[in-house]
Amino acid sequence: MTAVLELKNVTKRFGGEVALDRLSIALEANEYISLLGPSGSGKSTLLRIIAGFEKPDAGDVLLEGRSLAQVPAYRRGIGFVSQGFALFPHLSVFENVAFGLRNREDDPLRDGAALRRRVDEMLGLVGLADLGDRGTDQISGGQKQRVALARTLVADPKIILLDEPLGALDANLRTRMRVELRRIRQQLGITFVHVTGNEDEALAMGDRVAVLDRGRLAQISDPDSVYNRPESARVAKFLNCYNMFEGRCDGDGVFQTSGASLSCSPDGAGPGMYCVRFDKIKVTPAPAASQAAGTGIQATFITSEYSGPRITYFFRGPGEKVLEVEYHLSHQRPEEFSVGDEYWLSWLPDEALVYFQ
Amino acid sequence: MGNRPFLRSALAFYTLLFISFLYAPFVVLGILSFQAGPEGGPQFPIIEWSVYWYEHIFGLTPPSRVAPLPIGEALIRSLSLAFMTMVTSTVLGTMTAQAFRRRFKGSGFVFYLVVLGMIVPGVLVGLGLALVANNLGISRTWWGTAYVAHVLYTFPFAFLVMLAIFNRFDRSVEEAAWSLGVTPMRTFRKVTFPLIFPGVLSSMLFAFTLSYDEFPRTLFAAGADLTLPLAIYGTFSVEIHPNIFAFGVLTTLFSFSILAVYGILMSLSVRRARRASIQEDIE
Amino acid sequence: MDASRDSNALSDGGSERATAESVRTEQAARQQARSGTSSARSTTAMLLAPGTIWMLLFLVVPMLMMVYVSFWTQKTFSIEPTLTVQSWVAFFSSETYFAALLRTIKIWLIVLATTFALGYPTALFIGLFIKNKTLQTIVLVLCVVPFWTSFLIRVLAWRPMLGKEGAVNIVLEKLGLISEPIEVLLFTEFSVVVGMTQIYVVFMVGPIAFMLSRIDPSLIEAARDLGAGTWRIFRTIIFPLSLPGVVVGAIFVSVMVLGEFATSAALSGRKVNLLGNIIVTQVGSLKWAFAAVVGVILTAVMAVVIAALLRFVDLRKEL
Repeated sequence: MTAVLELKNVTKRFGGEVALDRLSIALEANEYISLLGPSGSGKSTLLRIIAGFEKPDAGDVLLEGRSLAQVPAYRRGIGFVSQGFALFPHLSVFENVAFGLRNREDDPLRDGAALRRRVDEMLGLVGLADLGDRGTDQISGGQKQRVALARTLVADPKIILLDEPLGALDANLRTRMRVELRRIRQQLGITFVHVTGNEDEALAMGDRVAVLDRGRLAQISDPDSVYNRPESARVAKFLNCYNMFEGRCDGDGVFQTSGASLSCSPDGAGPGMYCVRFDKIKVTPAPAASQAAGTGIQATFITSEYSGPRITYFFRGPGEKVLEVEYHLSHQRPEEFSVGDEYWLSWLPDEALVYFQ
Repeated sequence: MGNRPFLRSALAFYTLLFISFLYAPFVVLGILSFQAGPEGGPQFPIIEWSVYWYEHIFGLTPPSRVAPLPIGEALIRSLSLAFMTMVTSTVLGTMTAQAFRRRFKGSGFVFYLVVLGMIVPGVLVGLGLALVANNLGISRTWWGTAYVAHVLYTFPFAFLVMLAIFNRFDRSVEEAAWSLGVTPMRTFRKVTFPLIFPGVLSSMLFAFTLSYDEFPRTLFAAGADLTLPLAIYGTFSVEIHPNIFAFGVLTTLFSFSILAVYGILMSLSVRRARRASIQEDIE
Repeated sequence: MDASRDSNALSDGGSERATAESVRTEQAARQQARSGTSSARSTTAMLLAPGTIWMLLFLVVPMLMMVYVSFWTQKTFSIEPTLTVQSWVAFFSSETYFAALLRTIKIWLIVLATTFALGYPTALFIGLFIKNKTLQTIVLVLCVVPFWTSFLIRVLAWRPMLGKEGAVNIVLEKLGLISEPIEVLLFTEFSVVVGMTQIYVVFMVGPIAFMLSRIDPSLIEAARDLGAGTWRIFRTIIFPLSLPGVVVGAIFVSVMVLGEFATSAALSGRKVNLLGNIIVTQVGSLKWAFAAVVGVILTAVMAVVIAALLRFVDLRKEL
């Protein structure tokens, strides 16, 4: 596959702060990329540079091999859906979708019937067929999201950039919109770049997930690799599903952290970060007889949180550290722990990831 | 502080007095405009209630020793001048404020340069323009030098209004339009302008009324053909009559009608924005 | 690194919160992002040019011209571009003209004081005691409505108010407070001050009320809880927080009062001559050079006053 969009050493500073630091990335045609990063990682800046709203201080953006340096936003043919949706408040839903076709510089659509047909078709695709006459303040958040999407899709862009597109929606709607987005994307075959701060969303949506950290690309790979084999401690941290212990390992397979020693694979030494995923941990009453089955830590049960397919247990470990344990209820039964009691949290040393600095 | 009942009622009472102080002259001229004529003077008490002085303004009374107010042409001039000023200063104010949405070097200088127009006393603006005009051999006219002076005064107001509007403007809707392939020029016309229209309307209102009532700048800049405030000023030096009060009442009513038009346009544009009508204008 | 994780662990709102934070910071970044491309820069220049040129050509050049002409030679009915300080000497050696300068400053100071004293309580009421924003706006608009009457006619209306047979005297006599009408009400400095105060006081009320309405009520409550009395709260919290409004109001009032001549012409019977009045009479008798001298002096006074007031506030931030 060929790269449809390529960023080469893109650098962007705001005042003294570096938002993007020599970032390079290549997107393939008909690919859905999730851009995951914490606040301030530069992910929105990256999107705005691709869209042409910001100019990079250094580096280049290539669309189908052609530099975009001298191409203004309105000639790029790149769709952009912003987080607040940015609907035109003075126009109806229909007019919002028709706006680009009607007013674009390149071949504006003047034929009323053709315009109506295309807009209606697009409204149908996003499931808003009956709402064309509504004002933008007479529709719900999810519907606004669809209008924003329809408005962008109808222009037939090569790439669509989504800036935290689901951030303004409530959790329920967010899940539904994810399905919707995937369906639309399958129907149209366009490259999507989806910026999000939410790890679940990034993993669920992307063919590939790019993790951004402090203006640099920390990792780019398929969701499974990102989730199971984060390339750095920071990536593991953004994924929000790892218990992390700071400490050091002396190359003997023992990782020393405050108040505990944990087993790990014996290669590598020095100060580092020991990570173990929430769902890899087993809980047994302390003191456990079966300490040999793996490595572990003693902790006090605090509370649990039930969320349908899974349940999360919170424990307080050494040094007041809060640890999370996740049970997937499809293949585990929820357990009753009593608050304040001591438990032994254990896992297999192979399951732990250690990152050295 | 807000829950001190005595202090609260004392201040409320004071505010009432304060507002009556603001309105006192208007009330007085309202009452005296109904003075009997032509023998009744511009003072209390009212000899007899009459609309004589209103008729006098429109030339409906038999000739008397009180000359009619020289307002016919002056009114036309003032209205035309106010209209020209309104259009120019709103355009300039919107353009300049639009430029201020982007940071640029020397923005402080331009800001104060523009604001200077409302700070420099009118009499100095008029004097300076008159000196330049005289020296260049340009004759001073209401549609030339006075127009220029009026825009100097109203442009800063329009600029500040538009600056405030743009400060609250969400630029992501413009970006949305660009990303749909619409040029910045057309985006301004089709998206930005409709959204800032209430601000434009306010600038226009400011400019029109300030220009319509402008006096100190016009005094030296207008030349031989007088505007309305100059015509009124001309009656200062001689004896004043209640006809000028009657005229004051009429111009006030006129001002209110402009305010009403503004209010109607404003609510219409707000409602239009809200209702989001389908515009079928396919160009 | 782990600390942030810990604080979020129990809320499960970590990712939502992170999203909200990212919105804020990215928006801040967006605000910062005004770095221009060359085409954007030329657009800015094109947008700025007409307004800037207008101000430079029609305001700055004429002001410089005024300074220049103040050194020209004044003939009986004309001026000649031969440089001299004759008009300057004439101004400072004439007792009448120098007195006008002093009177202008005096009237300005008095009006500044009266607009502040009369306006502050009203601003206090509007800004602090009226909680409802709509009602606040209504009362402020109520204060502005008199401005829709012609400025000159409004000034003129003080004559039948303050005259010997005016409304004030009639009322006072009816009340039995005076037996003879007070004559000094009209055509004196008093009437000029009253007229100006009535016209300009609103420009003091507006900015002060605005500043007061921005005071966080919980601040005052907190002070009250700490046992501070009303007067003490006013002195230590409310008044200091309203000061920027006072300064902006003072700038408005100063700018307008210093250049005044119409009010004094209408209400002083030509007895109170301010610098503005002198310019008008001098231009009337074609003494352009002399008028220019007075103009330059007036500009200098203005500049000093404004510069002094601007030391206290950043106009760009307050407007």
